[in-house]
Amino acid sequence: MSERPSILGEPIRFVLNWGRRYSLWVFNFGLACCAIEFIATSMGRHDFIRLGVIPFAHGPRQADLMVVSGTVTDKMAPAIKRLYDQMPEPKYVISFGACSNCGGPYWDSYSVTKGVDQLIPVDVYVPGCPPRPEALLHGILRLQERIAAEQSGPGGVSRPDPVVAAREAELAALTAPPVRPPFPAEPVLPEGVVWHRDRPSSAPVLGPGGRLPVNELSADRAGAGSPFGDDETLPLPLDRISYQRPSSGPE
Amino acid sequence: MDGIPGKGLVKGLAVTAKTMAHRAHTRQYPDVEPDLPPRSRGVIALFEENCTVCMLCARECPDWCIYIDSHKEEVVVPGAARARQRNVLDRFAIDFSLCMYCGICIEACPFDALYWSPEFEYAEYDIRDLLHEKDRLREWMWTVPPPPAHDPMGEPAKEESTAARRAAR
Repeated sequence: MSERPSILGEPIRFVLNWGRRYSLWVFNFGLACCAIEFIATSMGRHDFIRLGVIPFAHGPRQADLMVVSGTVTDKMAPAIKRLYDQMPEPKYVISFGACSNCGGPYWDSYSVTKGVDQLIPVDVYVPGCPPRPEALLHGILRLQERIAAEQSGPGGVSRPDPVVAAREAELAALTAPPVRPPFPAEPVLPEGVVWHRDRPSSAPVLGPGGRLPVNELSADRAGAGSPFGDDETLPLPLDRISYQRPSSGPE
Repeated sequence: MDGIPGKGLVKGLAVTAKTMAHRAHTRQYPDVEPDLPPRSRGVIALFEENCTVCMLCARECPDWCIYIDSHKEEVVVPGAARARQRNVLDRFAIDFSLCMYCGICIEACPFDALYWSPEFEYAEYDIRDLLHEKDRLREWMWTVPPPPAHDPMGEPAKEESTAARRAAR
């Protein structure tokens, strides 16, 4: 890899890098409020097309730059990894905002990935919560400086993913297809437990029209039956009220 | 609906023509400095001389992104019965990759050692560089705008009114 610049020569390296830094087709991985600032940066007031960042990539397969803006959750992590892997080389990542830098306010959360750099290599970290649109522009300028200084080859710079080498097994788990537990056909009930309500042994007797006997259409009244019995006038007469003591203690 | 055909089209073209006549409202950021309001929350600056290591900012920080180390130093005052102790700040660091820019540390600081600065240009290639130690936080102090002028119709400060009352007595 290190011989390539000498093979290509400095002018070709310069031209390649010049082309790469000013045609960054961007793929916005907007996950939270920082995505709004990204959108604000792409709009007329800040307008990062001035800097050559083109927000019209059809998808990750056509993009050069991924801007991860927002809270990366562990549930979203496989999707981020997959979409990053779909991007063609050379590819760059900007981590935009505190959440994607290191988890931000959610650094103690059970479900938030503590930084998108645990999943994919990040080139520029933009601090802020959320950062100003100008801060994203500044991050893009920093990235362009970095691309200009790159020792680029015809197929891009091979940048070994530091994450992959360090944690092969975890990444395999991240990119693996989801494993679902087998769905039990019959609920498995533990033995030796007295259930308060027995499971019905047979299907319920159907009422007229093949429906369950009580519903809004077949019942003679709306709603469920009263626990005191239907057609009762409350309060009940005194002789019909029975009281059962909850225990057989002394009177 | 008054039925003039093409009315909507003319209206739309009028809007287009009006917009074409205007100048673009794009801010030319890298070439032209943005005019940020002085109270905008860019970065937190530390005025180290004011810090007494009371740890209130570190305790109030909802993210716990402030790191403070200190030690005690004995100051021997001639003529005093015993030596005084004072805190000396060894380390003051704010992790700006974690900070949520709520400004609670600045509100909580009883000695005005922390200030907002509108600077925002400190994106980094390495996340470890976003941990600004106290010398870097001190550098931000030069970018802190002057405090806003007093409201001319406002109530005078407590010190001023007390001094005026004393003088009148």
